[in-house]
Amino acid sequence: MNLSTDIWVWVGVVLTLCVYSFLYKDNPFYRFGEHLFVGVANAFTLSFMYHRIIVPIMWRPFAGAVRIAGEEGITPELFNPMAEANFLVIIPGLIGCMYFTRFIPGITWMVRIPIGMFMGYYTGRVVPAYFEGSIFPQMKGTIVTQASFDPAMGGGLMAGIFAVIILIGVIGTLTYFYFSKEHKGLIKVGANTGIVFVMVGFGASFGFTVMARVSLAIGRFVFLLRDWLGVIS
Amino acid sequence: MNWERLRNVDRRIIFLAMGLGILIPLLFPVELPVGAQRITTRLFETVDAIDGQKQCLMISSDYTPQTEAENHPMTIALLRHGFTRRIPVLLNALYVEGAPLLADAIDQVMGEFNARATSREDSVIYGRDVVYLGWQPPPIVPILAMGESIAGIYVEDYYGNRTDSLEVMQHIHTYDEVGIVVAITGLAAPLWYVQLAQTKYGVAVGAACTAVCAPDFYPYCATGQISGMMAGMKGAAEYEEMVDEQFALGGRRKATEGMVAQSAAHLVIMAFVILGNISYFASRRKKT
Repeated sequence: MNLSTDIWVWVGVVLTLCVYSFLYKDNPFYRFGEHLFVGVANAFTLSFMYHRIIVPIMWRPFAGAVRIAGEEGITPELFNPMAEANFLVIIPGLIGCMYFTRFIPGITWMVRIPIGMFMGYYTGRVVPAYFEGSIFPQMKGTIVTQASFDPAMGGGLMAGIFAVIILIGVIGTLTYFYFSKEHKGLIKVGANTGIVFVMVGFGASFGFTVMARVSLAIGRFVFLLRDWLGVIS
Repeated sequence: MNWERLRNVDRRIIFLAMGLGILIPLLFPVELPVGAQRITTRLFETVDAIDGQKQCLMISSDYTPQTEAENHPMTIALLRHGFTRRIPVLLNALYVEGAPLLADAIDQVMGEFNARATSREDSVIYGRDVVYLGWQPPPIVPILAMGESIAGIYVEDYYGNRTDSLEVMQHIHTYDEVGIVVAITGLAAPLWYVQLAQTKYGVAVGAACTAVCAPDFYPYCATGQISGMMAGMKGAAEYEEMVDEQFALGGRRKATEGMVAQSAAHLVIMAFVILGNISYFASRRKKT
């Protein structure tokens, strides 16, 4: 046993034990750890954002433009958005500040402007990308062709069989979630096939989730046993 | 036997069994083989095939300290692979909480390589062999903008250097000079790269994800949109082993260390699932 003398390891150990104490039952130590984590994470994000984003991307170019304007007068270059010093950076800054109008009675409607711009930008960017990057290629991947079975074209017997299984799974699952017609006859067969695939999917997801959570617990145990107690090498 | 009692076992007993299932294999480890899945091998081969003279490996992370146990060994393994093959490595963080973790990983692996180096050529030098671009929010912006100019969106690197002044950035400008982007994630970063960067700029994408996320990415591996994947701690262990077998680097392999405990914990869970099912059917039969 080789107990750590690093104060930060001890801080980590105390907080780890505080959080794990919840496994017994809810208690003040757990709540202390939880609140401390939320506070530290928020403070870290805010300070990092201020120093790495607001200062270099907005404040420095704007302050630079003010300084140049004071020394040399206002020139068209100070309104070039690509220039290192320009006045235009203040526009997105001001639009961002409109989020705070939510707290000012009478002008709370102004918060809709940045939210609208944000949603518009994201929707415009993400929706076509989702179709192009997910829906269409995944549909294409579901189609079984001769190439699926042809070794010369990257397929093979097993690849072909798996392609057929995937096709059956997709059609069955979509049938299961088709609610506009009663599940009778052929639709019932399809839906029952679909539920098998859905259950297999849930089982795989559960297995992966267990693996993930166990991995995180292993990480903490290794920290306690190696970094703190020094009982494993 | 009182099956009802077994069905209502105190959850703390399950936690205790799980804790012991993890603790005992860590204290008394045994050797277990870590067989590599095809999906992990494909990622390794894609990274290995990068021509370091023309292209770089990009490691893009969105993991935070919560998933460090799964994701951090992946970063270490990829850095070791890139440095050994003399492939320039660019890193960026898509979420702020994880940004310092990448800096730690770079320091650790650079330290390992430089401790063995006998000359400047052997050494791993920041700016020549590796650049940490830092963090730019929101993720969609750098993912798209790097297709036009990497140094344009990351004007300064994580350490405050001007990115365009760094040696390696003289020949790496856009995704054209990126062999593969490996997105190390606890969320959905590989899909963002597939949907936004691959469709527009054609860059290859790899995934290194927590096990929870892995089922979401398998369909993309099947269609070839994701070139290969490390899935969870198991995937990280496989990659660690492949790097170690190929290059005999040594060094600590954190994911591999946890594999025995992982297997034991899975056995405990399986035992509880089986017991739960037996007790359910037994008590149902008793009622009828």
